[in-house]
This record gives sequence, structure tokens and C-alpha cells, in this order.
Amino acid sequence: MIGFSTGAIAYSNFRAGLQVLGEQNVTVVEISALRMTEWQPLMQAFDHLDLSAFDFVSIHLPSEMNATEEAFVTQSLRAIQHRKYPLILHPDVITDFGRWRELGKLICVENMDKRKAIGRTEVELDVIFRQLPEARFCFDIGHAWQVDPTMTEAYSILKCYREKLTQIHASEVNSRSKHDKLSYATIQSFRDVAHMIPAGLPIILETPVSPNEMRDEMNKARFALTPLGSPSELVA
Amino acid sequence: MPEQLAILEPPSELDRLRETLQIALPNIDNARAEANTFRQQLEASLLGLTSEDTSIVVFGSLARDEFTSGSDVDWTVLIDGIANPKHLDLAREAGNVLNSLGARGPGLERIFGSMAFSHEIIHQIGGEDDTNSNTTKRILLVLESRPVGRRDAFDRVLNQVLSRYIAEDARFLQRSARFNVPRFLVNDFARYWRTMAVDFAYKRRTRAGTGTAIRNIKLRMSRKLIFVSGLLACFSANVLLTESELSALLQAPNATYEFVRHLRRVLAQTPLEIVASVINRHQHLRRIGLQLFRAYEVFLAVLRDNDKRAHLDSLQPSAEEGDRIYQELRGASHEFRDAVLDLFFDEQTMLHQLTRTYGIF
Repeated sequence: MIGFSTGAIAYSNFRAGLQVLGEQNVTVVEISALRMTEWQPLMQAFDHLDLSAFDFVSIHLPSEMNATEEAFVTQSLRAIQHRKYPLILHPDVITDFGRWRELGKLICVENMDKRKAIGRTEVELDVIFRQLPEARFCFDIGHAWQVDPTMTEAYSILKCYREKLTQIHASEVNSRSKHDKLSYATIQSFRDVAHMIPAGLPIILETPVSPNEMRDEMNKARFALTPLGSPSELVA
Repeated sequence: MPEQLAILEPPSELDRLRETLQIALPNIDNARAEANTFRQQLEASLLGLTSEDTSIVVFGSLARDEFTSGSDVDWTVLIDGIANPKHLDLAREAGNVLNSLGARGPGLERIFGSMAFSHEIIHQIGGEDDTNSNTTKRILLVLESRPVGRRDAFDRVLNQVLSRYIAEDARFLQRSARFNVPRFLVNDFARYWRTMAVDFAYKRRTRAGTGTAIRNIKLRMSRKLIFVSGLLACFSANVLLTESELSALLQAPNATYEFVRHLRRVLAQTPLEIVASVINRHQHLRRIGLQLFRAYEVFLAVLRDNDKRAHLDSLQPSAEEGDRIYQELRGASHEFRDAVLDLFFDEQTMLHQLTRTYGIF
């Protein structure tokens, strides 16, 4: 299962992103509302969105929130809780663990990139998961690679939190901490730990691409997450 | 994040050793406290200078927790990120901060006291481009270094260096291997130790005997100690781990990553702590531990005495024979040497087999 974040396909426009993904027959999607300004429109739109074409849907919560906004977001999530979509959460936005604890297994904590002071490593994630014991895990392999290109940290994270894995974020994270297309060296690094990732997990690409580049990037990600020694799945 | 919990560090092996051997280690304790105090001052003064791509790393006695008022401060700005001409300004500012704290500057070779770049340290292991300076930075990064401030770049570079030594030589992690020793890493540690010994002779000649006495004693004690700790780290899978821990490591989904993690844990300790961990682990080594740590106490007691240190700094080689302080230290260095030999040729652990197999040829 492999698909895209709507934010990668259409910046700050989930409707456009969903439309392109539908047109390309991509059935795995993470609906992105990384900015607070996107949050309320998304919540209001949910009852009218037709997501029946998608096999997997998750929601990426805002990546910057103050305490008031955090309260608003957690409150508004009650309206869509019944849909059981995984809710991707950056741990550095949390000010009140209690609010997120109430959402139980729907919360999917994502490991952070090197710019953040928390949530980057196995040890730092342990601090978060001790506060949110029911929470699941969204493994951003690009973030883990950026924190430690040897993938030792990625290995440690996967070894510790494999049981909690719900989805994978796969893209290059460049030296400016921006999502980028997968490069040769990064693909090789990803493959070193691919055997640690259970088969069949939804893979979400956050790489900004045009519609005609989507298939190529999906193939690269599929290959990158194929364990070493497995038959090559890279489509030229 | 108000609810964030603290990440606890494991108890010091030196603290355990003090109880195990029932001895006082006042000079080691004081040097450790002085190192902690200075690093805290330094960290506060360097606030805001480090970033996710730049770590300020200290080496030598300040990193080893053997700091005294007469210690040099060896440091570098370790850069692992986009090139930026302003990094030189950062290095100068770090130097200014150290000067303002009254730190004695790095040694005459100028290996430290400026910038170091991850690419050279990671890629140039061996070959013509692995200069004396590059080898020194790399080995000391592994054996006696600490970041002050943000440690991201430091951790990335150290992981990559260790990963090269382990992943490119991973046969020692096969279950059929007789011993589980990373030979590539052992060889580089041994090379560096011999380089230090040869450089001692070089400096004695080129500096016309100035500072020879103290360099000689350091070579016999603190320089030898880091080689000892490096060897023990390399032997640690067979000396520090229990059978079940070693078995779990070798059977893990990726033994290479597990071994890198294991080495990081071992090498996160100071050289004295690494030695202490081996003594603590094997009861019959206590006599050796007593001899070794008492000798090191004598060494640090002299270094902590400003008058004696100054005396050694100016002592000419021709006067060494009749000098009481020098001879006291020489005697301690012999005690230290003998304890180290007894440790590495101990027959109740695997140390003697490992030393024969990896330490000689």
C-alpha cells in the first residue's frame, strides 16, 4: 500500500490533493492539515468528502499549535473520532498529554527530524510513549535517516516500536530539512532497515511531485523499502 | 513540554569501583568534579553557538574527567552539514569564549582549536589522505571526546565512524566467529597508540627536550590509558557482556547495528570508567584494579599540584634521573604498566586469548 500526503501533491489544499490522487488511481492517502489555517476547513468538509475510493486514510494534524489551538484541535477531533482514521501527531506540539491520551490508539506519534529537540530517537520517543502508552507510531524513515545516516537509530526505533507501527513516511529529507525526491544514497540506506518494517503497512510519500512524477516516486519508495536480498521491484 | 521526563544516565562504573575495591580515589574524584564544573561553565558560555549541524567537542583531560587547573583544553567545532563561510567565525567565537574562561589553548600542533569536517573524518580511514591530524581527530573522537552544547552533529559523526569500522568488517559478528572483536577498529587504535609513541620521539627531538618529562609521563599513563580503554572496548563483547547478552546481540535482526549501539554505550564512558567496568565485572581482577587505580591516583595527584606540574614542564631530560618527582611518577607508571599487563594477560577471562590474538600480530 503506497500513496501520498495531500500536502505533497497540492500545497495547503487537501481538496486538490485528493482530486489528483483520485485521478491517478492512488488509493492510499494522508490528508494533511499541517497549518492551523487548514484545520477548520478540513473538519467542516469531512461530512461532504467522498473518500470511498481510498483503501487507507490518515490525517496529519497541525505541526504547530499553541495551547489554545491544541485544545481546539483535540476538541474538534471528537466529531470524526468514529471514523477511526489514524491521526499523525508531531510530539513537539504537545503541551497537554492528557488531551491526546483521551484519543487512545488513534494517535500516531511521528518521529521527528533533526531540527527538533525531542522525539528523534528511540530514547526520546520512549519519553513520549510513556506519556501516551496507547498511542501508535508513524515511522518517518527520512527523519530517522537525517538524524543518523548509518540507520543505527532507525534500527533501534524499529526494534523498539515495531509493534506500534501504523504507517510509514518515506521521502528524502534534505540538508535543509525539506522533503525531497528519494536519492540513490538514501534509497540504499532505507534498504538496510527495510527488513524491520512489517509487510503491508501503508507507505505515505511526502515528496512534492507533479502528477506525472508520482508513479516514478512510488516505485522508488517501493524499492527503497524492499529488504536487501529480495527480488528487485524497481520499475525503470 | 512540561510533562517531559528526564532521561536517566546509568550509575558511574567509578562509583561502583570505589565500593568494589573499598578505596578512596580523591584525585580522580576531584579531577572529575573540576571537569564537570568547567564543562558546565563552558556550556553556559557557548549557549546558542551550537546547532543541529555544528557541535563543539572537547577532547583530552576535560573529556576524560581528568581535568586540572594546568590542563590544556583541546576543542574543535565539528561540522556535519552545509558548508558555510561563517563556520570560521563560529570557531573564533568558541576560541574567544574559552580564552575568557582562562582555558589554556590547544597544543602546538594546531590539530585542535578550529574546525573539523565530518566528511574527512568519516571517509578518510587509511590511505594517503588519512593524515596524522585526521587520524588523531577520528580516534580521539571515538576514545576521549564530549560535546558541549548541542550534540546532534557529534552523535551523527560518531555513529558513522563506528559504523564504518563495524559494517566493513562484520565477519566477527557471525555466530561461527571464535571471538567477537572488530579487528579494523583494533588496528586503528593500535596504529594511533604507536603513532603517539613515535611522535613522542619526534617532539623530543624537534623541541630540544622542552616538555619531554611531562610528555613522557603522560605517554606512560593517560595516553596509554586511552589505548587500554580502546582495546577493552574492542574486547568488550567477550569481556563485558554475559553469554546471554552476547547471544542476543549476535542473533538480533541486525548484529552490526546492535554492535554499534553496544560500542556507543561502552565508549560513552571515560577511559577510567571503561577500565573500572571490567574490574567491576570480574571479582578476581580486584588486585589488579587496586594497583592500576592507585598508580593513576599518584599521576593525577602530581598533575593537580601546580608547582610539581610546573617543575615537570621545565625539567630537562638530563635531570630526569635524579629528580624525585619524576622518579615518583616513573615508579607509578611502572605499577600502572604492570597492572595493565596483568589485566590483558589474565587467564581467568578471555583477555589473554584476545590479547594474544589481536594485540600482538
